[in-house]
Amino acid sequence: MTIASDPAGLEPTIRYEDLDVPVSAPCARFEEFDKLREQAPAHFGTALGNEFWLITRMAEIRATYQNTDAISNRAVVPHQPDPPYKWIPEMLDPPEHTKWRKLLGPFFAPGAVDRLEPKLRQRFDEIMDDVVDRGRCDYVADVALRFPNTIFMEMMGLPISDADQFQVWQTAILHKGASAPEAAFQAMLEVNDYFAALIAERRRNPREDIVSIASTWRIDGEPVSEEDLHGLCLLLFMAGLDTVAMQLSYSMYHLAANPEDRRRVVEDPALFAPAIEEFLRYYAFVTPGRKVVKDTEIAGCPVKAGQMVWLPLVSANRDPREFPDADKVIIDRKDNRHLAFGAGPHRCLGSHLARRELTIGLTEWHRRIPDYHLDPDVEIREHGGQIGLDNLPLVWNVRG
Amino acid sequence: MKIVVDQSKCCGHARCNAFAPDLFELDDLGYVAVSEVEVPAGMEEAAQTGAGACPERAITIL
Repeated sequence: MTIASDPAGLEPTIRYEDLDVPVSAPCARFEEFDKLREQAPAHFGTALGNEFWLITRMAEIRATYQNTDAISNRAVVPHQPDPPYKWIPEMLDPPEHTKWRKLLGPFFAPGAVDRLEPKLRQRFDEIMDDVVDRGRCDYVADVALRFPNTIFMEMMGLPISDADQFQVWQTAILHKGASAPEAAFQAMLEVNDYFAALIAERRRNPREDIVSIASTWRIDGEPVSEEDLHGLCLLLFMAGLDTVAMQLSYSMYHLAANPEDRRRVVEDPALFAPAIEEFLRYYAFVTPGRKVVKDTEIAGCPVKAGQMVWLPLVSANRDPREFPDADKVIIDRKDNRHLAFGAGPHRCLGSHLARRELTIGLTEWHRRIPDYHLDPDVEIREHGGQIGLDNLPLVWNVRG
Repeated sequence: MKIVVDQSKCCGHARCNAFAPDLFELDDLGYVAVSEVEVPAGMEEAAQTGAGACPERAITIL
């Protein structure tokens, strides 16, 4: 199954498309990576005909993210080595990337998240007010997707009424990119049109939002181009909506399916902090790629310029070489140096905001609905592309 | 006991600060602002935990 022991015979042994089938049970995809990791530290394969390497273990994945000399962010999904779009700052390399991160940093720094906290709490309270008396919900649609979605709309200064349309675009781009690349590209064009109108409007009538402020920036003395503002809007949209929603959903899936862990966090809410880190480690669904720009060696394999590398965070995070009992969720785990937010200079810009949203989302839910369970009559589905849960049916007793 | 931070490796995860805010001061963007810190008596465990939280392996304890 692997060529790691036979680097001369570069026969593809895996296909990206096979790892991206549309429907499966929760965590099935993570378990695929577990199998591949234990077979070999690297697998050679094809992604819609393009050559790529899947890297499977923590040490090599971390080192590859840190290796900005040979590894570029100009392409970030294995099946698209020459993408017709540029998300900013994700798809930039240093030193240009560094300049953007410094400008964007103040919006996402720990202090900025502290200032946002009252708004985050208020928004999550509104969502809870809406669902608490229902006795049942689809947690993904009714809670998880609505929370970060509205925070994003707020940061961008957009009307909440457009949030549903954003979710449709998001699904097409993130979850169906490999199975329906034309539809994904079409969605991206529509998003681009939306943002083009937004950028033009904010240039005419600047406000306090991130787009208005970014349109006044200068990089190396030059004003930020229209195209780069688009790239920034696209990235904020791609990175901000789905990720927190899915992390909340996997965390709630775990707590619904494991009543003993749920009882512990409800009785001792201080345990939410390490539990959230453990859910981030165990259910790390983001699977970034990178483009090789200089021949190099990873795990003893000859990785060539022009090829892609695929660096699933969950594969690093569940590596038993790194974590004792890596295959178990231990909600008070110590020394949890997981890579759920990546590593290297592209470490998730929104990680501090994400952690705060996760903390508020999980603590507030359990304060108001401490006891609940999965609805055994509804099948839970998991999707590919960027891995996530389609639905999470929860049921609880309504008091009074 | 002394903490040594390789600031060139810091990518702003801020996990050291989450566990030991008094030892690992951050700058305004959330990157570690210190390169060497003498660990006061009684804070050895916090220093170890903070160092052990770094996903980039940028912190060593001497």
